[in-house]
Amino acid sequence: MSEHDQFRELIEAYALGALDASERAALEAHLASGCPECAKALEEARLVVTQLAYLAPPAEPSDMLRARVLRSVRADAAASAGGGGGSLPMQAGGPQRSSVPMWLWAGVAALLLVSVYSTWEARKMQTDIAEMTQHESAELKERQKLQDELTTAKHEAMILSDPASHKIMIMPNDKDMPKVEAMWHAKLGIYLTAQQMPMPKNNKVLQLWLIPKTPGAKPMPSQVFWPDANGKIGEMVANPPEDMAETKALAITEEPAGGSPQPTSTPMWVGGVS
Amino acid sequence: MFLLAAITGRYGEGESSDSALVERFLRKDVSAFEELYDRHSRVVYALVVRILQQGSTAEEVVQDVFLHLWRNAGQYQSSRGPFVPWLLTLARNRALDQLRLKSERQRRREDQTEEIPAIAQSPDYEKALDEKRRAERVRSLMGTLSAPQKKAIEMAYFEGLSHSEIAESLQEPLGTVKSWIRNGLLRLKEGLQTAS
Repeated sequence: MSEHDQFRELIEAYALGALDASERAALEAHLASGCPECAKALEEARLVVTQLAYLAPPAEPSDMLRARVLRSVRADAAASAGGGGGSLPMQAGGPQRSSVPMWLWAGVAALLLVSVYSTWEARKMQTDIAEMTQHESAELKERQKLQDELTTAKHEAMILSDPASHKIMIMPNDKDMPKVEAMWHAKLGIYLTAQQMPMPKNNKVLQLWLIPKTPGAKPMPSQVFWPDANGKIGEMVANPPEDMAETKALAITEEPAGGSPQPTSTPMWVGGVS
Repeated sequence: MFLLAAITGRYGEGESSDSALVERFLRKDVSAFEELYDRHSRVVYALVVRILQQGSTAEEVVQDVFLHLWRNAGQYQSSRGPFVPWLLTLARNRALDQLRLKSERQRRREDQTEEIPAIAQSPDYEKALDEKRRAERVRSLMGTLSAPQKKAIEMAYFEGLSHSEIAESLQEPLGTVKSWIRNGLLRLKEGLQTAS
């Protein structure tokens, strides 16, 4: 097999983003050398890969999201349309040899130049301010996100170390499945951990349920989660009921992507809350 | 040859083609943007939810995607491929960045460095199939693959995993995973071609 053929075999995985670093670097070097056949194959492979998006289960974005997006876009459009023109009114009456002295024309021209420059400067400043505001807002958002993550990490650590936390073992129905451990802290939340957890099949996710003690009461839907590539789970469930006494058990089911308001399958893990 | 002659069809009467809308949108026409949003936000949202598995974060990402689209309209060039695949690539990149941020505390890429690669051009794409039919076709073609082959492709696309990570997760030989993915995508491509 020629070197070219070897690279050709990597194109589909490259378009999917599945190549490991060394193969990716080698293929990128080959593409940079200007191989037209591989370049064309790559464009086609990318198009095929984009079609995989249609495998996602249908989901409807909220009307609030639409309103937020369009409000921002309209505000942007209005800001960039603002300012208006600066044309001077023309004197009616046609061209005439003016009796105005040259020095006066020169003064008017200078004033015009200053005026045009000032308008340009003001617009540039407006644009700069808009860009700075945009950057600032993006940075604030990013900082807030990091802050939230830090708070979550702190809560996780506190839940695991605080003697006030209650440990609940959520046992699997299937003996081959791993146990899930929940640490419940009345104020900070529930922290779920598990190892070697298999990935739910058929695009499903795992969902935690709080089973109330009140007879006939429906299970309360809680966090949707799934294991990482190594089968680990480390999930923080914020805002559980403060009083554990109202909850009889924690249960975990497999649910369609996005979770369900009520369980659609039999719990695969159940743990009594004592 | 005519790869995406497969992905053809017609919009309903009175509807503008994507390329006509995109042309207006590139001139900062808000109503064209609105129509593009209404036409494509569902598939973008569904993709992002599938990747992130969380509705609230998904909405943030979708908002980012569409605002990025509006504010950086010049980044899309019709010469580099049809609009919808470009938009889906942007959405997938953003969602995977967010996923990695969650699992690895990795910073998201900056807007300025974002460049969507060229995607095969298809003169027929603008007469695209409606999303429902397109989804049915892709699902039906993927249904012809073996379950582990489909799983491997989905792990790469929706979770952003590499060959090695997939092989480790599925506890299968690396070579097997590579073949599954390549042959699966080739079969999907072939299926799209023959369906046209």
